Amino acid sequence: MSGQLAANSSGSSSAACPPQLVEGGRQDAADRAPASAAQRFRYKLRIALREPTTAIGILTAALFAYLIVVPIISMLSDAGRVQLGDERRIRMEVGDFTWYYIERVFTSRVASSLFWEPLLNTLSVAFGAIIAAVVIGGLLAWLLARTDMFGRRWFATALIVPYMLPAWTFALAWTTLFKNRTVGGQEGWLEALGLTPPDWLAYGRLPVTIILALHYSPFIILLFGNALRRFDSQLEDSARILGAGRLTVTRKIILPLMLPSLLSAIVLIFAKCLGEFGVPYVLGLPVKFDVLATSLYRSISSRQTGVAAVLAGSIMLIGVMTIMIDAKLIKEARRFVTVGSKGAMDRLNPLNNLRIPATVFAALIFVFSVAVPLSVLFLSTVMKIPARFDADNFTLDYWIGTDLNTVALQTGILLSPDLWNAAWNSLRIVGVASIVSGLLGLLVGYVVARTPVQPLATFLRQVTFLPYLVPGIAFATAYLSLFAVPRGPVPALYGTTLILMLALIADQMPYASRAGIAAMMQLGKEPEEAAQIAGAGWSRRMISIIIPIQKGSLVTGILLPFISGIKGLSLFVVLAVPSTDVLTTFSLRLVDYHYTQAANAVVLIIAAIAYLGTLLGQKLTRTNLAQGLGN
Amino acid sequence: MPKINLRGVEKNYGANAANAVANLDLEIGDGEFMCLLGPSGCGKTTTLRMIAGLEHLTDGEIQVGSRVVDSVTAGVFVPPEKREMGLVFQSYALWPHLTIERNTDFGLRLRNLPKAEREERVGKVMKTLGIEEYRHRYPSQLSGGQQQRVALARMLAVNPEVLLLDEPLSNLDAALRLEMRAELKRLHREFKTTIVFVTHDQWEAMTLATTIAVMSAGMLQQVGTPNDIYDRPANRFVAQFVGNPPINILELAAGSPADLVVRARSYFQQRYAQIEDIGSVGIRPEAIRIVGPKTPVPEDAFAGSAEVSGILPTGGSWIIELSTAGEKLFLTTHQAPEIEVGAMVEFFVKPKTLHVFDGAGRRSKTADRLLNPAVLHS
Repeated sequence: MSGQLAANSSGSSSAACPPQLVEGGRQDAADRAPASAAQRFRYKLRIALREPTTAIGILTAALFAYLIVVPIISMLSDAGRVQLGDERRIRMEVGDFTWYYIERVFTSRVASSLFWEPLLNTLSVAFGAIIAAVVIGGLLAWLLARTDMFGRRWFATALIVPYMLPAWTFALAWTTLFKNRTVGGQEGWLEALGLTPPDWLAYGRLPVTIILALHYSPFIILLFGNALRRFDSQLEDSARILGAGRLTVTRKIILPLMLPSLLSAIVLIFAKCLGEFGVPYVLGLPVKFDVLATSLYRSISSRQTGVAAVLAGSIMLIGVMTIMIDAKLIKEARRFVTVGSKGAMDRLNPLNNLRIPATVFAALIFVFSVAVPLSVLFLSTVMKIPARFDADNFTLDYWIGTDLNTVALQTGILLSPDLWNAAWNSLRIVGVASIVSGLLGLLVGYVVARTPVQPLATFLRQVTFLPYLVPGIAFATAYLSLFAVPRGPVPALYGTTLILMLALIADQMPYASRAGIAAMMQLGKEPEEAAQIAGAGWSRRMISIIIPIQKGSLVTGILLPFISGIKGLSLFVVLAVPSTDVLTTFSLRLVDYHYTQAANAVVLIIAAIAYLGTLLGQKLTRTNLAQGLGN
Repeated sequence: MPKINLRGVEKNYGANAANAVANLDLEIGDGEFMCLLGPSGCGKTTTLRMIAGLEHLTDGEIQVGSRVVDSVTAGVFVPPEKREMGLVFQSYALWPHLTIERNTDFGLRLRNLPKAEREERVGKVMKTLGIEEYRHRYPSQLSGGQQQRVALARMLAVNPEVLLLDEPLSNLDAALRLEMRAELKRLHREFKTTIVFVTHDQWEAMTLATTIAVMSAGMLQQVGTPNDIYDRPANRFVAQFVGNPPINILELAAGSPADLVVRARSYFQQRYAQIEDIGSVGIRPEAIRIVGPKTPVPEDAFAGSAEVSGILPTGGSWIIELSTAGEKLFLTTHQAPEIEVGAMVEFFVKPKTLHVFDGAGRRSKTADRLLNPAVLHS
């Protein structure tokens, strides 16, 4: 067979001459029979089993199948089976197949409040946020990347800050300002000043849209701005030399080439909005403004497991479709090679008269998206009565006071054991999960880069990417579905810290494995091969070569998931119980009980951790945030 | 006894892919400096990596010394770390987290040698390669040429019987490359190691190798000494790949009406009618002579006339472009040409410098015998 193959390939290749017998070559080639299929298989098997790489790959693949695939399947199957407690209503046995939940969510009388209205709300909020983010972020990206606006370097960092903070930080700041008499508890600043803000301004669609727009415009600044910066100016110069004016160049050359990266950023924002829970929860509840994530949360809290499964499945489906569109766009974008090696953009457009207005615009965006929300939050934690700026109205009691005249939480937040408990939980759960997912990510990267068994590499790559398609709250539902009851040797994990850790690990795997794969691919095979040639066996190569070289990326692979875990909410809100409170769920609970100052204080603590962690990460890795996007 | 023996070696990267290496039989003698030469993608690096054990075979067998290290039929695979070879990568692949000294020392530590001996050997090899003053630096603090030396030192320290080099000079600038070539030749003499060297640069192969193996599209085209390869290319591919400016090829089989082709066809029919199936004729640029008062046309030479369409000085020598009715010939000369562009000139080529290839592109043995009777043909 091999002889035939050789003959074929010689016939088809244009450069080569026929395999004639050459001087110095051997004569007996034709005598030897080619290896049989069985012999080839044995040879391959021997090579595959020679090193632990494949065994590790199979073990991790099994682990991820259990931690990622099984929960999702379990949740999807819940959508079609009668759940415990529903047998009388549906008049079927528990576990039987039923269309009941699907009908209930999509066609029943309650369908509109369960699914269709939240869907419309989700879409309207997402598209509103996207339009605003594109306008604001696009303009800022252009100003930062291509003009001589004042303070570009400072703004380049400052305008990204909203993205480093949890989105619902801004939701809490918004309620602190605009909360009106519709809801009990401490009133908002405007209400306290005697101006009652209308409901449409205080809650629901408008504030949610504005906050998401401000939170995600850094996305556009980073992705779009990066593309603008790397744009090959020779493309532009060629058009200019041919006589195109500046406007024509922008319209006919730059925008069409930038479109794929812009669309990709838009799709990412949409996927993020789809799973956004905190903001609509804080701002939507008072006026019953539901999005898909909050509707799902409501179903879970009211123990409608079947309905929750259908809703989570729908969110997942929309997520999958979004990512597929994104993949297609990225493929499309590859058709254009816009990144020149030489002509990277460092020439700037002079703004002339508009230089000061442009700077003022950037400064205003900074003020509204960072300065105002954070100062309002902070001030609210040191003021007894909202919006009264007398000296005796200021107090540190909410931070460090004792014997406060409240029902619960009678001390300042920093003296409350609940805070330290939650902080310790956060640190422990997120810390362990981050370390484990960072290590697993590197391991996955190693196996993917090295295993001779290609299907294994492909499976690992895909299975670790899967949680990316599933918004956190839907993924948490999947975990609830699988681990809420004992299954086989696995006891019920609901209410334990273990389930939080496992869910967090699985949820972080897309980023961890992507980082691990990238690191291993970037390292290449050669340093390891050189060690192999020098005589080092597998374990020696791991200890002396791979791990020391990958130290840095391992630290990043742990730090980035840690930051996003600390500020994460949607996983915890479903899976945490009071005894496993973390900082985020603790602050949400405080919001629910109207301890505004304490809630805001906790959120500030989270924001500070997230911000400092991100800065530390950037310092350690000398990279900018654009690479960690999506975390 | 050959040091390395490849038998029927085949490498295929996927069911639908063409063979990266097809049915390769190659012997590399003990102490030989063997160059694998070919264009990029011809399978030469794959071959080298298979010898090292870093790439697995699809079929065939590799023997090193008396030991079969790789055999699909026998199910034998000796891992790279047990093959006791040295390999210098194109990218050098120095370990960035270890100092130069530790990089060089790595292989010796693995062999559990006593500290004194390790230090002595590391010191010696670093001295030989002139890198001792950098011993406490890290690879990123060295220049490309220095890194290259460290990569060599790291492999030479364990004194391998076989040293494999994968385009190790391609990342160096021209001057450094010349220096490293001389260095490699010296090291080969000094360490008496068998060296297999992969390159796409014919100059490098010509100047370094004792034997050259030319590969193309996964297949071995010719094995021979540098002079063999240049003077008696086994087929058209080898003839065209080696030589700069490239060999002139006249397509005789194509039935082209071009003047030169017609002329060549009748030249062979009149003088060498015994040569059957002439596909093409190759003429090296330096074999073409321009007829002048002191250089008359020899009686048996292939001759013609053409217009000078370009003169390109290359510093010390000249490339002259001749055109006749659509055909172009390039010739090189070391004497300043006393002609102008546009002039008509007569030229001739001695029969023994003609390379005749058959319809399939193989060198014609009959032609060799007839055109150059003075040489004994095997």
